[in-house]
Amino acid sequence: MTERALDQKTLRSVFWRSFALQGAFNYERMQNLGYAYAMIPVLRKLYTTEQQRSEALQRHLTFFNTTPAVSPAIMGVSAAMEEQNARDPENFDTGSINAVKAALMAPAAGIGDSLFWGTFRVIAAGIGISLASQGNILGPILFLLLYNIPHIAVRYFGLRYGYRFGTESLQKMAAAGTMDTVMSIANIIGMMVVGAMVATLLHITTPLTFGMSGAEVEIQAILDQMFPALLPLLATIGVFILIRRKVSVTRITLGVLVVGILLHILHIL
Amino acid sequence: MTTALLIGLIAGIGILDERIFGATLFGRPLVLSVLVGVVLGHPVEGIIIGAQLELVWMGLAGIGGSTPPDWVTGGVIGTTLAILSGEGVGVALAIAVPVAVLAQSLGVLVRIINLHFANRADHFAMRGDFRGVTVMMWIPPILFFLSTFIPAFLATLLGAGRIEGFMNATPSWIIDGLTVAGNLLPAVGFALLLDILYSRRTAVFAVLGFLIAAYAGIDITGVALIGACIAIILTLFMQRDGAATKKSSGVDNLTEGEIVYD
Repeated sequence: MTERALDQKTLRSVFWRSFALQGAFNYERMQNLGYAYAMIPVLRKLYTTEQQRSEALQRHLTFFNTTPAVSPAIMGVSAAMEEQNARDPENFDTGSINAVKAALMAPAAGIGDSLFWGTFRVIAAGIGISLASQGNILGPILFLLLYNIPHIAVRYFGLRYGYRFGTESLQKMAAAGTMDTVMSIANIIGMMVVGAMVATLLHITTPLTFGMSGAEVEIQAILDQMFPALLPLLATIGVFILIRRKVSVTRITLGVLVVGILLHILHIL
Repeated sequence: MTTALLIGLIAGIGILDERIFGATLFGRPLVLSVLVGVVLGHPVEGIIIGAQLELVWMGLAGIGGSTPPDWVTGGVIGTTLAILSGEGVGVALAIAVPVAVLAQSLGVLVRIINLHFANRADHFAMRGDFRGVTVMMWIPPILFFLSTFIPAFLATLLGAGRIEGFMNATPSWIIDGLTVAGNLLPAVGFALLLDILYSRRTAVFAVLGFLIAAYAGIDITGVALIGACIAIILTLFMQRDGAATKKSSGVDNLTEGEIVYD
């Protein structure tokens, strides 16, 4: 049988905290504080020393971003992994916790965005608007009900199944010695997803043009043809090199802000 | 004054819907406009204006960490001024849409200021201080609240004419410059993530993911699924080869040894 260290009460606490996921949303690591905040009941239960708590908190303060509605499912998996780590720290690579988060968050956002923003919300709004435009109070009420019944259900069951699936598959893997394999798979997916995020979620374009035999040529149009998303790639590589050189993140962030505004004033971005 | 405070509260709590109340959509114009209507004594007008605004903004959603026009401030102010002036739906839209675009930069500003609290949270995390991290988590929502409460409160107090003047007076390079900088900042987040996952052996996969998304235009879910296939294929083949050579050479492949999370 699978043993589980986390009780219902802890998971319920994660469930309620997951609602505040975007409370401290910031441009650098997005939902990171909200995620760490939601994981605190789990970490408090599993870890007792300052060292363990510090490592775990820092782990969950890294970049995180997904559709809020599906975040509890990922938190469930993280809780299961933290539990496995607490149980058997020698054989557990804590880096895999973030690798799995990174591998899950984008596909979860892809499904979550199209399901919740694209489908449920549009259906609920369509029905709500048609009633409300006649001045019917049922419009907004139905809008909220139609959207939130599936929404809350996905949050609740997502957390439960994420945790249950996480613990069971982790313990099976530990027993079969396949943990390393699965972790390297998660790492490869995580890396590919980060690469894809740079290409699709970073919107950096240049308005620069140059004159050629009288005609205005847009540099961005040439880039789009030859090397799409080159600017996002360069920006990310630049920051990555700075991070590797141990430049403090605060400095990098402020630098990016100033450079961004300057380049805009110079009409380069 | 009381009315202005109540309208401000509707906007302030409305913005928190997608912040701390899990995006249950009570912050959408379809719902907030009704509340504004109730406060101003014209509930039916509120419902109808809400329906129009929702129709216009149905396509807006905070997807992928982007900051869309602020429909909370725009919708609440638009509804309020339309009902107060007695001009109806048309005026509501004419005010709401530009106000939403302007208020967006306040939202951008808060998300930039929040970097400070994220950094302070790091320091508390280093000491394993749950309380400190929790406090850092709860200050930004107050800023988000203020970022919509204050404009809605002031707009209700001042009335329609002055709002227009104020919007025309704000230099556009401030708003646009902030937007450009806001678009650059996720690069820091991605680079930090890359820093955690990075190992020389798997670096090529980040490039591969980028190229697939950039050139083939496949979305992130597709890239993740392709990544899963590639990873499984590699693991299957390497495992077979690895089993044969394991003892003799200790081949540096994906299934052997740890991934270096340095």
